[in-house]
Amino acid sequence: MHYPEPISKLIDSFMKLPGIGPKTAVRLAFFVLNMKEDTVLDFAKALVNAKRNLTYCSSCGHITDRDPCYICEDERRDRTTICVVQDPKDVIAMEKMKEYNGLYHVLHGAISPMDGIGPEDIKIPELLKRLQDDTVQEVILATNPNIEGEATAMYISRLLKPTGIKITRIAHGLPVGGDLEYADEVTLSKALEGRREL
Amino acid sequence: MFLTNLCLKNYRNYKSAELQFENKVNIILGENAQGKTNVMEAIYVLAMAKSHRTSNDKDLICWEEEYAKIEGRAIKRKGPLSLELIISKKGKKARSNHIEQPKLSQYVGNINVVMFAPEDLNLVKGSPQIRRRFIDMEIGQVSPVYMHDLSQYQKILQQRNHYLKLLQSNRHNDETMLEVLTDQLIELAAKITLKRYQFLDLLQKWAEPIHYEISRGLETLEIKYRPSIDVSEDVELSRIIEAYNEKFAKIKDREIDRGTTLVGPHRDDLAFDVNGKDVQTFGSQGQQRTTALSLKLAEIELIFSEIGDYPILLLDDVLSELDDFRQTHLLNTIQGKVQTFVTTTSIDGIEHEVIKEADIYKVVSGQIAKV
Repeated sequence: MHYPEPISKLIDSFMKLPGIGPKTAVRLAFFVLNMKEDTVLDFAKALVNAKRNLTYCSSCGHITDRDPCYICEDERRDRTTICVVQDPKDVIAMEKMKEYNGLYHVLHGAISPMDGIGPEDIKIPELLKRLQDDTVQEVILATNPNIEGEATAMYISRLLKPTGIKITRIAHGLPVGGDLEYADEVTLSKALEGRREL
Repeated sequence: MFLTNLCLKNYRNYKSAELQFENKVNIILGENAQGKTNVMEAIYVLAMAKSHRTSNDKDLICWEEEYAKIEGRAIKRKGPLSLELIISKKGKKARSNHIEQPKLSQYVGNINVVMFAPEDLNLVKGSPQIRRRFIDMEIGQVSPVYMHDLSQYQKILQQRNHYLKLLQSNRHNDETMLEVLTDQLIELAAKITLKRYQFLDLLQKWAEPIHYEISRGLETLEIKYRPSIDVSEDVELSRIIEAYNEKFAKIKDREIDRGTTLVGPHRDDLAFDVNGKDVQTFGSQGQQRTTALSLKLAEIELIFSEIGDYPILLLDDVLSELDDFRQTHLLNTIQGKVQTFVTTTSIDGIEHEVIKEADIYKVVSGQIAKV
């Protein structure tokens, strides 16, 4: 199919987004053509602004429009606890819970030698720097429960052992509110391994 | 369990085929290169979601087609079951009882099959890889957790090997990371090793009397597991972990030197002793065959004892490879209890009543019909 150049460029741009294939891209591109010019301009501005005005917090690495971010800045938060996560999206997930009142540290990835990502390629040195003074008493490792996330957690815990800081790892197992019968065998066996006495 | 229907679409050389099975024993008869083994493979793939012949799923799709589909209906002890597997260039989609299964590991094991093909005669003589595949396939059928552990193990192994390569070329010198990867590897290696110990122990219990009978009371078979660690008498998880820890500490420098992981379940092997002598080195052709046959027959009984249902037996071109006595023994074992599919080019010369009562399906260049 041959499209005029502006449209084919737009289609190409849409296809760069995750989860969007050629068909959806064509649909979106033609939808944009029928939108009001103001709306399109706003849309374009929003895209550019998001890219230009957002940076990473120099302290925790979370996405923010001002530095330090609103979490690091908040005086009411507990500065003795740091929760280590892989991704800014994880911070947002944790914040939704509204139960955690400590600070975060975003690693921006997990260690994976296969993909050429070593400990120094993610924000581990920055984490160590943050722990140099004595304010932090507990580090919660909340990396993903897969091989890379687990390796990253184990690595950090080894590095921190000599400092004497309390290191904890989030639990994994059954989702709350779910039925036992719907859990897959592997999750169940993990849950069984991590059972506790009542 | 009993397979009642099999429906193939664009599978290998079958554009479309629909089969109904009513009998325990079904013979698939045809000349060479007509598609007999493809039917066996299809049943195998329906059960295991992968082929025993190729690791490339695209090979299963009919020439110039987009996808292949295998459907089957079976009756299990627990009730009827319908299975559907679609293989496309993008991947596989599996449904059991019309519900899509997002994880293939949960689909595998819905029906159990035991395949006995000419390659299996190499089980004893061939490379250790064949024997490891044999153990993994069998444990995998009865334990989904094992399958998961195994695939996790492979991933960590890759990560660790990569890291060892970095250490080898001096691009990294952080040994803490190596320790972390080693710990991760050991955790899974120990689970796999333990499971293999337990499985082979059970298999031994079933295989020994079977072998004794096939060899007319002359031979005692002993299956020996050869992991890369030494664990003496009582095998338990903590002991295995300890043994792996010691071993990995000892060989660390050599591993960095070679840039690869040198011990672990990916290097395990099995040995078979007949009357105290290693069959692989000292056994005759016939003894090696008897051993392979005993193992397969033991597997049938083992699956029955684990899940309470007999698996489906697929005999691909092996009847002709066995002498009369072994043939008779094999057919006596399956008689009346195990649903069996047999491929052969000719049924002349097999006098057993099992064969005489069987249903015969004839295959001619991608067309199959009941005779």
